Amino acid sequence: MENEAQAEVPGEGESSKTVPDSTNADAPSSPSDGLREDTFAKDGEDDNEDKSQGEGEDFTEDAEALKQELETIVVVPPEPEVPKQPAEVFDPAEFPSSYKDNLPKELMVLQYADNFRRQYVHLYRDRKPLLLNPVNECGIEKFVCTTIRPSQLPFKELYNWEGAAEFVADYLNFETLEPAFELPTRLLSPATVLKRQKGNCFEFSTLLCSLLIGAGYDAYVVNGYATRETCLADESREICPLLKKKEEQKEEKKQKVTKKYTVKPPKDLRSKFEQKMEARRLAEQKAEEDKRRAEEEQKLAELEKPPPDPLHGLRIHAWVLVLSGKREVPESFFIEPFTGLSHSTGSESYLGIESVWNHNNYWVCMQDCSDGVAKLNYDLGDCTMWEFMFPGVDKNQLLIPEVEDDLDNLDDDEDKEEEEIHLDLPPSWVDPLKLSQKDFEMRCPQGKKTKLYKRAKLEKFAHYLLDDGLISRLSVFDDKELTDLQVVKEYYEHRSDKLNMRVHNHRTGWVTEHFHPGRSKNVKEHCYRASAPAPENDRTMHFYDEARVDGLLKRIETPLSMTEHYKNRDDFLFYKHVDFGKRTKKFGPQDEVVTSNPRPIVKMIQRFERNSKKPANCDISELIFLMNEDKIQLTYHTVDAHIASSTREFIKPQNWDEKGAMLAWSPDMHQTFQVDPNADPSKQVELYENLLQLLKMEESCREGVRESEEEVKEIINDRQKEEQASELDISVYDTERNEKAKKHRRELERQQMEEKMRKQEMEIDYLAPFLAQMEDPEKIGRSDACKLKEDCLADLKQRLIDKANLIQFRFEKETQELQKKQAWYQQNQVSMSKDDEEEYLNYCSEAMFRIHILELRLNRHKEMAPHKYMALEQRLRTDPRLAEYL
Amino acid sequence: MSRLYDTVEPSVIDEEMLQKAVEEQGPKDEAGKIAKREGINFSDVLSLRLDFKNILKIDNLWEFTALTKLQLDNNIIEKIEGLDLLVNLVWLDLSFNNIEVIEGLNNLINLKDLTLYNNRISKIENIEALKQLHVFSIGNNEIKEYKDILYLRQFPMLKTLNIANNPVSREDKDGFKQYVAAFLPNVEFLDYRLLDQQTKTAAYEKFQTQVEEQIDKDNKAKVAAEEQERKVTETQRHKEAYVEYLNTVKLFEDMYADDPEGNKLNQIPGVDEMLVVFKEKLMAVCQQLFEFGLQEYDKRKAEVDMFWECVNEAKQENKEMGMDAINEFMKDKKRIFVEMVQMTDTKMVDNKLQEYNDQVTALWDKLMGLELQLVDQLEEIIKDFERNMQDLVSVFLESVQAYLTQARDLENIHNEKMIESATSALEKAAKNELDEDVPEELKMLLVDKDTVMNAVTSSHDVHLLKIDNKEDDIVTRINNWLKNMIETIHVEQEIQRNRMRVTEITHLIDHLRDEADLLDLVQGVV
Repeated sequence: MENEAQAEVPGEGESSKTVPDSTNADAPSSPSDGLREDTFAKDGEDDNEDKSQGEGEDFTEDAEALKQELETIVVVPPEPEVPKQPAEVFDPAEFPSSYKDNLPKELMVLQYADNFRRQYVHLYRDRKPLLLNPVNECGIEKFVCTTIRPSQLPFKELYNWEGAAEFVADYLNFETLEPAFELPTRLLSPATVLKRQKGNCFEFSTLLCSLLIGAGYDAYVVNGYATRETCLADESREICPLLKKKEEQKEEKKQKVTKKYTVKPPKDLRSKFEQKMEARRLAEQKAEEDKRRAEEEQKLAELEKPPPDPLHGLRIHAWVLVLSGKREVPESFFIEPFTGLSHSTGSESYLGIESVWNHNNYWVCMQDCSDGVAKLNYDLGDCTMWEFMFPGVDKNQLLIPEVEDDLDNLDDDEDKEEEEIHLDLPPSWVDPLKLSQKDFEMRCPQGKKTKLYKRAKLEKFAHYLLDDGLISRLSVFDDKELTDLQVVKEYYEHRSDKLNMRVHNHRTGWVTEHFHPGRSKNVKEHCYRASAPAPENDRTMHFYDEARVDGLLKRIETPLSMTEHYKNRDDFLFYKHVDFGKRTKKFGPQDEVVTSNPRPIVKMIQRFERNSKKPANCDISELIFLMNEDKIQLTYHTVDAHIASSTREFIKPQNWDEKGAMLAWSPDMHQTFQVDPNADPSKQVELYENLLQLLKMEESCREGVRESEEEVKEIINDRQKEEQASELDISVYDTERNEKAKKHRRELERQQMEEKMRKQEMEIDYLAPFLAQMEDPEKIGRSDACKLKEDCLADLKQRLIDKANLIQFRFEKETQELQKKQAWYQQNQVSMSKDDEEEYLNYCSEAMFRIHILELRLNRHKEMAPHKYMALEQRLRTDPRLAEYL
Repeated sequence: MSRLYDTVEPSVIDEEMLQKAVEEQGPKDEAGKIAKREGINFSDVLSLRLDFKNILKIDNLWEFTALTKLQLDNNIIEKIEGLDLLVNLVWLDLSFNNIEVIEGLNNLINLKDLTLYNNRISKIENIEALKQLHVFSIGNNEIKEYKDILYLRQFPMLKTLNIANNPVSREDKDGFKQYVAAFLPNVEFLDYRLLDQQTKTAAYEKFQTQVEEQIDKDNKAKVAAEEQERKVTETQRHKEAYVEYLNTVKLFEDMYADDPEGNKLNQIPGVDEMLVVFKEKLMAVCQQLFEFGLQEYDKRKAEVDMFWECVNEAKQENKEMGMDAINEFMKDKKRIFVEMVQMTDTKMVDNKLQEYNDQVTALWDKLMGLELQLVDQLEEIIKDFERNMQDLVSVFLESVQAYLTQARDLENIHNEKMIESATSALEKAAKNELDEDVPEELKMLLVDKDTVMNAVTSSHDVHLLKIDNKEDDIVTRINNWLKNMIETIHVEQEIQRNRMRVTEITHLIDHLRDEADLLDLVQGVV
C-alpha cells in the first residue's frame, strides 16, 4: 500500500509543479519508472517510513481540498541557471555526433535519472540537489556516469595512482566553481578537458577517475563539501610534500639479547634515592618544557590558522575516492585532484559527501556527515548507507555472511527475475582520450607551474624546456610572506654533466651538488661555499667509491687541511689526513706558476684497517709523519688479548732527502713501547729496513696528497666549464629531440618515398588504353591478343610518324623563316643601322643552330624509330598476358 | 752429467761455509754494516744459496727454520736429507746433482717450486704431501714410464712442468707432449713453452677415452676418500658423545668375542633362535642409548658454545672499555706534553708533571678496576657453567646406567633361558636323542650337569663383565672430560688471563711514567 502511494507522489508533484525541478520538468515518464520506484521505495523504507505515511494520508483524505489549495499557489519554476561567467563556447562541428545527440538508451537513462532525482528531491527536501545530468560542450544533457571514460594512456607513469594523480594536477589549470556553493551546470568531457588544459573540480575528478578506472583501480568521483583551502587549491598552509618525506625516517634500536651466561653488569653503588629524585626533577623539567613548547606551538598554529570562512560547509567540491581491493590497494583513500595528493578517509579537509559515482552506477550518501567524513562507511553495497541508482549493475553487494546462504536459496527465483530486468548503462559518449608524447612531456600548461606551500615555493618545469635541464626548484623560506629565503633546492634532469640536484643553503652559504654515477672522477656530492668556489677552500666531496680505483669515499678540505676517507683498499688504508702550513713567500721570478709553490705539508696521518694476514703487533694502525720535526710515529693494532697498543717512533736521518745518499743509522733514532714486556727486542737491521720502507711510504703519501690537490683543481675546472656549457643529454631512443636520429629517419622516409614512386612508374600499364578500348576483357583471347598487338604497334608507328612529321614541320618552318629573313636583309641591307645588322646576324646564327639541332633530331629519330618499334614488338611478345598467343 | 767423484774434493756443509754464505747474501750497504755489527741469526735468514760448492751431503741446515728459499744446485748431492725442519721452504733447487730417488720432502708442505733438473731420478714419487706445488722441474732425468705423468694429476695447482729430455719422451716427442697436455689439463707451461688451448683440445681429443677413464677413476677414489673421511668424523662425533659403536652390533659381538664356552653352547639346537631374539632386544636398547647419547652431546655442546660466546663477549666489552680509557688518556697526554714543552717556568712544569702523574694513577685505577670487575664477572659465570655441566653429565650418566641395567636384565633373562635349554639338551644327551650333527666340542660339554652349568655361568659372567666395562668406560671418560675442561677454564681464563692483563697494565703504566721522566730530562737540558 505504502509503496503504491509513494510511487504516485512524484507524478502528482510533477503535474502541479510543486516539486522544484530546475531543468527537466517536462521529461516524459517512462515505463522504467515503476521498476525503479519499486526498488527505491523498498530501500528507502526504513528511513522515510513516517514521512511517506503522512503524505499518503493527506492524499487520500482531503485530496480535493488540497488540490484546490495547491492550484492557488503559483509556483514559478526556477529559471534555468545562466552561467555567471561567460561560458566558453564550443563549436559543435568540432565534436562527433555522440556529443550532439542522445541515443535512445541514453535518453532512457536520462529519464530514469530524472525520475530518481524527483523522488530524491521529494523525499529529502532539505538536501541539496544532485549532480546527475549536466550539459556537455554542445549543450546536450549527459548522465554523469557516462561522462567517465575509462581509458589507459600509453605512458607507464600513469599506471599507478600516484603518477596519474600528479599528472592530472600538473597538466590542468584549475577553475573554481562560481558560485562556490552551487553545482556546475555544465560538465565537459574528459577529452575536451585534456585539450583545454583547464577545468573545475568535477572535470578534474572525472578525468582522473577515467584514468584510474582504466588502470584497474576501484575509483569513484565524489561530490561533497570541502574546506575553502581545498576548494581553492590553497596549499600555503600545508608543508610541501617534498619536504615532508625526509622527516619520516625511523631509527631502529638494537635490542641486546640476554643470553644464559651473559655477565652481570657491575654493581651500581650509587644511591637509589638520589637517582630517583634526580629522575623526578628531570621529568618535571621536561614536562615543563614540553608544556611550554606545546603552548608555543599552539600559539603558532593559532596564528597560522586561516580566517574563518563564512561559507564553511557549503563549498561544493569534487574529488576521487579509491576503494581498497583492486590493484592491491590495502585501504580506501581519497585523492585530491587539484594537488594530486592522497588523503586518508578521515581527512579534515573534506566536510561531507552527497554522492559518489563511477562509470557503472551512482550512489547517494545516506549517512550523517555533520561530523565530517571520518566516520563514513564505504561499503557501497549496503543500501542503508548508500542509496544506489541502478540495482544490480555493480558487484558491490552488501557483504552477507556465508551462513545465510540457505535462506537466500529459498528466494532465488525472485532474485533472478529482478536481475533480468535491470537497466544497464550505455557506453560513454566521450571521445577516446588522446595525449601526445610531447604534451605529456610538457606536463604543465606551457611547461611551467608554480605552487605555494607553507614557507615554501615549488616551481616545476617540463623536461628539456630550460636549457640547463632544470625540472623543479623548491625554495624554502623562513617566514610566511616568502621573503626570507632559507634553502633553494634545484632538481635537474638529462644533464650531460650528470648533475642531479643542487641545494643552496642561503643561511650557511653552502652549495651542495649531487651527481648521478658516471662522471669521469666519480664525484657523487660536492659541497662548497658559494662565496669561495676556488680550490684550497672549505669543501667536501663525496665519491662513488666502488667506481674509483683508489676507493676514495670522501674528501674534506679546509684551507689548511685535507682529510680523505677510503673504503675497500688493498693496502687497508681508510683514512688520510694532511695538515698544511702557510705558503712561504717566494722571492723569485714572478712568472712562475702557482702550482710550483704548493702549500708545505706539516703533518700527514694515515690510518689502516686490520690486515688479518699480519700479526697484530706488526700491523700498522696509525702512521703519523711529522714533517716539521722529521719524525715518524707508528701505532700498531692491538693484539686480541691486550688492551694497549705498541708504538714506535723514528727520527729521520739527517740526509734523508738527499737522493742516492747512504742513510746512516744509530740506535737512538728509534724509540718503542712494546705491549708485551717479554717480547724480543727487534733487530737493528729490521728497524733500519723498516725506516727505509717508511721513508718510501712518506714519499708516496706526499705524492698522493699532491695528486689529490691536482684532482680537486681539475674537478673544479671541469665543473666551471660544464656549468658554462650546460649541455643536455638526449637519449638515442628519443626520436623527437635527437637531431641525428631525426635526420636519419627523415632520410629513410625519403628513400622509402622514392622507392614507392619508382614502383608506381614501373607499374604504368602500356596496354591499358588498348584494353580500355576493348572494354577491359577479363580474359584475352587469341584474336584479342593479335588485335591488341596490331593496335599497339600501329599506334606506336603512328606516333613515331607523327613525331617525325612534327620535327620535319618545325625544320621546314625554321628554314622558311630564315630564308625570309635573309631575303629581307638583302633588301634592306643598305639602310640598316649597325644594331639591326647585329641583331640579324645573331638571329641567323641562332636559327642556323636550331635548324642544325632539328636536323640532328630528325636523323636520330629516323634511326631510332625502327629500334623502338622492334623493342615494342619484343615486349609484346614477352608480355605475360599475350605471350601464350604470340 | 755430473762430474766424477775423483776429480774434485767433496766438501761438507759446515759452520764456516754457512756463515760466509749468509754474510755474502745478507743485507747490503748500511744495513749490511749494521747486520755485521749485530750478527745474523740463522733462524732469521729467509734465503740461502749454496751452489757450486761440491757438497756431497746436505747437513747442518736445521738451524735455518725460517728459510723460504734454498738453492743447492750444481753440487754432488746423492741423497735428499736433512731438510725435515725447513717447513717454511717455498722454493727448493736441487738441480745438477746426483740424486737417484726423490725422498725426504714430505715435511715441506709449503713448497711451491721444486727443481730436480739434471739428476738420475727414474721415478716420480714421495711428493704427495706437496699440495701447493706450482712449478716442478724433472727434466734431464731417467723417467721411463708414462704412468709417472698420471702421478702428477694429484697436484691441482701445478702450472709449470719441465720434463724434457727423459727416456720416456725421447722416442715420440710430440706424442708425449700431447699425452701430458691431455692428462694434466691444469698445466699451462710445458718445457718452457705455453700450452695453448688449441693444443690442449687436440690432445684431449686424441686421448679422450683414456682421459675420461682416468677421470672416472679419480672421481671414484675421491668419493671413496670423502666417504672414509665422513665416517671418521662421524665416529669422532660418536666418541665425543661417548656412545661410539652402540648403533652397531659391536657390543653384542664383544660379548661373545672372549667367550668360547658361550659360542659352544650356542650350538645347542634351538638356542640360535633365542640368540636372535636376544640380539635384537639388546640392539634396541643400545640404539636407544646411542640416540640419547647424541642428544645429550648436542645439549652439552650448545651449552659449552653458549658459555664461550658469552665469555668472549664479556672480554670484548671489557677490552673496548679499557681501550677507550687508554685512548682518552693518550689524547690528554699529548696535550699536556705539548703544553709542558712550551712552558718555561719550572714551577708550572712541576705542576703539570704532577697533573700528569695523577692522571696516570687514575688510568691505572681505572684499568685495574675494569680487570677486577671482569674477574668477578667471569668467576660467577664459570661457577654457573660448572654447576650446569655437572648436572648435565650426571643426568646423562644416570640414563646410561638405566639403559645398561636394561641390557643386564636382558642378559639375565637370556641366561635363564640358556640354563633351560642347556638342561634339556643335557637330558637329551643323556637319553642319546641328540642329533648326529652336533659338533664334538658341544658333546664334550654335555657330559654332566656341572660342566654344562659352569659353562653357562662363565659365559654369563663374561657378558656381564663386558656390559660393566662399557659402563665404566663411559663414566670415566665423561668425568675426565668435564674435569679437564673445567680445569682448563680455571687456569686459562682466571689465572693466566688475569696475570697477563695485570702485567700488561703495570708495564704500560711504567712506560707512561718513564716517558714523563724522559721528557723532563729533555726539559732540564733546554
